Amino acid sequence: MRGKKKIAILVVASLFVYLSLFTWNLRTGHLDALSSHTGLDISGIVLKPGIWVTEQVTGFWYRYIYLVGLKQENDRLKAEDAELRRTNMLLGSQARSAARLESLLDFRPPEKWAFSGARVIGHRMGPAAALNTLVVDKGKALGVTDDMPVASLKGVVGRILRSGAATSTVLLLTDSNSRIAVIGANNRSPGMLSGQGYGKPLNLRYVNQNATVDPGELLLSSGLSGIYPKGLPVARVTKIQRSDISLFLTVQAEPLVDMAGLEEVLLLSLEPGEQAAPAANAADSEAGTETAKEDANGAADQ
Amino acid sequence: MLPTNSALSLLWWGVYTILGIWAQRTAPGIDFFAPGFIVSLQEQSPQRTVLLAVLWILLAEGAGNLPFGYGLAQFGLLTAAYFMGRSLFEARSYLFMALLGLWTGAIHPILIYSVSSLANLQVDMRPVLVQGAVQMAIFPVIWFLTDHFFPERLRQDVRPL
Repeated sequence: MRGKKKIAILVVASLFVYLSLFTWNLRTGHLDALSSHTGLDISGIVLKPGIWVTEQVTGFWYRYIYLVGLKQENDRLKAEDAELRRTNMLLGSQARSAARLESLLDFRPPEKWAFSGARVIGHRMGPAAALNTLVVDKGKALGVTDDMPVASLKGVVGRILRSGAATSTVLLLTDSNSRIAVIGANNRSPGMLSGQGYGKPLNLRYVNQNATVDPGELLLSSGLSGIYPKGLPVARVTKIQRSDISLFLTVQAEPLVDMAGLEEVLLLSLEPGEQAAPAANAADSEAGTETAKEDANGAADQ
Repeated sequence: MLPTNSALSLLWWGVYTILGIWAQRTAPGIDFFAPGFIVSLQEQSPQRTVLLAVLWILLAEGAGNLPFGYGLAQFGLLTAAYFMGRSLFEARSYLFMALLGLWTGAIHPILIYSVSSLANLQVDMRPVLVQGAVQMAIFPVIWFLTDHFFPERLRQDVRPL
């Protein structure tokens, strides 16, 4: 009987200590920072050499040995290059005239963002990886900060969830906890894009019933949340449904990027001297947890 | 210079940890350190086991993407199950290891759900349940392999029954 009482006291005490530690960490983030600077970085140190060797071997194979179809690929790339040059020439003149008009109307010039590449060294790792994330080989030592936007050449990938000294975790836009303020490329209808899990369509929320959205329309980041720059391609609309009982349209979209096949990503940072939207940043700093940050951004978007 | 046994232990567990990290990268959601933790509990001094547990908890938490808490709870519950089960079963029997595997796999979705709910995060539980089932099956296998290749010189016990 006495033994049982002792066990019960031990269980209650352990639970109390555990919940206290958990709550303290949610408020301060100290234990998360500790695990990022130890566990995440150690994982990065262990993985990087192996990945480097694999890339060198496969690179050697494809560059110097496996040259099948090279001539055809070269011809196709030349044609693509010519087409892009023509498009670029037209768009360049339009962009210059837009900048001239904006300066005439005394618009504030847009923020300037710098891109830096990072290599993907893993996706979900370990038993505590329940969210849709990937791990990249850059960390705080190279200027990576939490909430930094991550993109690929095709579109937005997500944002930095947490970072160690030399390794960082990226929350993908397909994750259920991801929220991105977007706007339609053609009709400029705003909404908030949220993930529903890997392999499932994205959900565009809070689009008014009378808003115009076309199937196949490109969704761009609106820049209202202060995390992503304005105009980055994020997703493409796949399905639109009107409901009699809802105030909003039911809109589904698909990401532009194949998350499973990503090998390299681009990290976006504001160039020195530039500052993100102050209101959104203030909202971010007040929010204690990652989810709270998401909610704040979502609220800012509406 | 380190004593020979300590150096061998450091080398062996170092290689195990490196292989575990690569295995966890290859099979998301599966814990390859828990069976090693049980082998350490069976064969090593408590101090060394605590050091290994701290390292593996930090690795699980750092490489993972939930707020700190999963690894601590998992290793705590695994230790509790091991010491409680030891009074009922032979500590190194395959049956006991299979039961510990069932326990580890069963607590995986419960812990993920608890930690994510406490942090107000949404998690798709279907893949987590699959990971728990895989963990149940794979735990005794990894324990067997780890125990099989564990150096005789470092053992404080006899071979499994």
